[in-house]
Amino acid sequence: MANAHTSTFSAFKATLKRDLLIAYKRKNDVVNPFMFFLIVASLFPIGVSPEPERLSLIAAGVLWISALLAALLAMDNLYRADYEDGSLEQLLLSPHPLFFMVLAKNIAHWLVSGLPVVLVSPLIAYMLSLPDGSYHVLFLSLLLGTPVFSLLGSIGVALTVGLGSRGLILAMITLPMSVPVLIAGTLAVQQTQNGASLLGFLAIMGAMLLFALTLAPLASAAALRISVN
Amino acid sequence: MWTWFHKLGSPKWFYDISGRWLPWLVACMAVCLVVGVIWSLLFVPQDYQQGLTNRIFYVHVPVASISLAFFPLMAIAGTVSLVWKMKLADVVVKVAAPLGAWFTALALASGSIWGIDTWGTFWVWDARLTSLLLQFFLLIGMISLRSALEDTDAAAKACALLSIVGTINMVVIKYSVLWWDVLHQPPTNFTVDNSQPNGPEIWIPLVIMFLGVYLFFVISLILSVRNEILRRERRAQWVSELAAQ
Amino acid sequence: MDQTTSATSKQSPAQNQAVLLQASELFCERDDRVLFSGLNFSVSRGQVLQIKGGNGTGKTTLLRMLCGLNQDFEGTLYWQGQDMAEQEEAFHSALLYIGHRVGVNKVLTPLENLRWTCRLQREVSDEQLMSALAGVGLRGFEDSQCHALSAGQQQRVALARLLLSQATLWVLDEPFTTLDVDGVALLENLLQQHAARGGAVLVTTHHNLQIPGLEVLTLG
Repeated sequence: MANAHTSTFSAFKATLKRDLLIAYKRKNDVVNPFMFFLIVASLFPIGVSPEPERLSLIAAGVLWISALLAALLAMDNLYRADYEDGSLEQLLLSPHPLFFMVLAKNIAHWLVSGLPVVLVSPLIAYMLSLPDGSYHVLFLSLLLGTPVFSLLGSIGVALTVGLGSRGLILAMITLPMSVPVLIAGTLAVQQTQNGASLLGFLAIMGAMLLFALTLAPLASAAALRISVN
Repeated sequence: MWTWFHKLGSPKWFYDISGRWLPWLVACMAVCLVVGVIWSLLFVPQDYQQGLTNRIFYVHVPVASISLAFFPLMAIAGTVSLVWKMKLADVVVKVAAPLGAWFTALALASGSIWGIDTWGTFWVWDARLTSLLLQFFLLIGMISLRSALEDTDAAAKACALLSIVGTINMVVIKYSVLWWDVLHQPPTNFTVDNSQPNGPEIWIPLVIMFLGVYLFFVISLILSVRNEILRRERRAQWVSELAAQ
Repeated sequence: MDQTTSATSKQSPAQNQAVLLQASELFCERDDRVLFSGLNFSVSRGQVLQIKGGNGTGKTTLLRMLCGLNQDFEGTLYWQGQDMAEQEEAFHSALLYIGHRVGVNKVLTPLENLRWTCRLQREVSDEQLMSALAGVGLRGFEDSQCHALSAGQQQRVALARLLLSQATLWVLDEPFTTLDVDGVALLENLLQQHAARGGAVLVTTHHNLQIPGLEVLTLG
């Protein structure tokens, strides 16, 4: 009997694959946050100033804030469809720890909404005249930082998934909580320009990611149990 | 049996006990605040640099220190409410959020007024003010989550969880904002009392103000908890008996 | 307002191995309204228990409480004689729940949906999945997206899990509502077979079930 049941790892894989498959079939959900990122980032040169000198000062902040807003916008897809069609109940009733199921969903979600933003960021950075030596810093810091946005956002979405008007509440909960990552990410870019060592910043962001990876899915799982009631 | 005890016993017990304590607490607060305000605003020697504005220090510091206590308070109450399903703890989580938002707003306002003289402008992205501002935003988020979740049991659990997550997050926010502040401006920061004489004529009124403001906080918390208890237990017999008196 | 029902059995849980799920002194209120109090019943192997009651009597709430989806109630649940709180993993491995919302994603195909829900519980091969879908009358629909299917067909996608499941306890919330005559007969048959195999079924429906040995618990 025991070996007829799946291991937690294969349930994890099944969930990851399923979510990636859904994203593949609903390409809009993948493309929209990405386009949103491009649009927000390109509003700054229009709104602030098109001069390269000025832009290069704010480039890192603009990219980070755009990435944060894009992550926030993408968050809503994470549990809503599953909540509405009942799949979330099946997830909660699986014999495996909900922590890993939530983690699988978060990873899938970041792969389709966070990673594209990270990958395209050097191009946008170029358009915003980011100083030459900062591209790898920006790329690496976004690579470490955007998963934290997804993990933190997941808590907020899990808490508000049953609500009709959740968009603003989600923003009010998630945005202040994301500030530490924003600070670390933008400081990394600015300080390395002034000659600080990159490693220290990456270590801090890596620590934030590990911290979020271990605690945030726990909180999301608890929040889902509360919301599915 | 225990859940039953918590459910029915605690709120009424708290209501009765707090009702007996309230007059004493209010009397103590009144004495402390009157003495403290008169002493600190009229008799404390003026700061030779900052002049009269410096005296808002006696309001700002106690209020700011209280507003930092709200998240830990909500986290503790939230844990109690999640683990032991104690209704009184959830009442505390609920009323602490708006109260905390008010105290945080007050701390921000008094800090800004103080800043007009110190910094020459009422807002500076100083580490303390920035993290207070973020705390204010998070508290507003908690209030709106509570009001959006209509089902009280789910709202209780969700807010308890958010208060725990929020407290952990606030710690990280505080340190990262401090770090951000240090790296963004050279550490020639304005500290609270670099040029002040530290004699008893300065700190005794401060202690009295601290006591008064802390008591004010405790009393406001008790009053709002009592209010919320009455609202929740409006169908219970003891509340109707109370109303009949 | 104590409720005594035909399904009530007052045996101590440990004495009877056949008893799978036992509920003791359940009390539940919603918005200051008591849905039920002092509710006792048990579900044993080989039993099909139908939960009846008008709208708003708490049928769905009761099922969700039993599954552990809803924890706002008082009273104790026992799984095979032991407190449910300590048995969660064992219970979830032995449980198959199909709710009001059947857990069928609209953009995925029936095959993909079934694959995921089954793999949360155990490994199944694609041949098994295909034959289960054929068994519920979805041959030829395996690869069309679910939003192209009718409500009854989506219900059947969920019901295909019953054919593959090794769970002992089935908890089904209104599984008959969207089914046609064939579907009803098919499902009744499945429930009967499951009970005959030594499984147990908890089902809410307004439908008059044609199952020998059916027991009924009426709420409200």
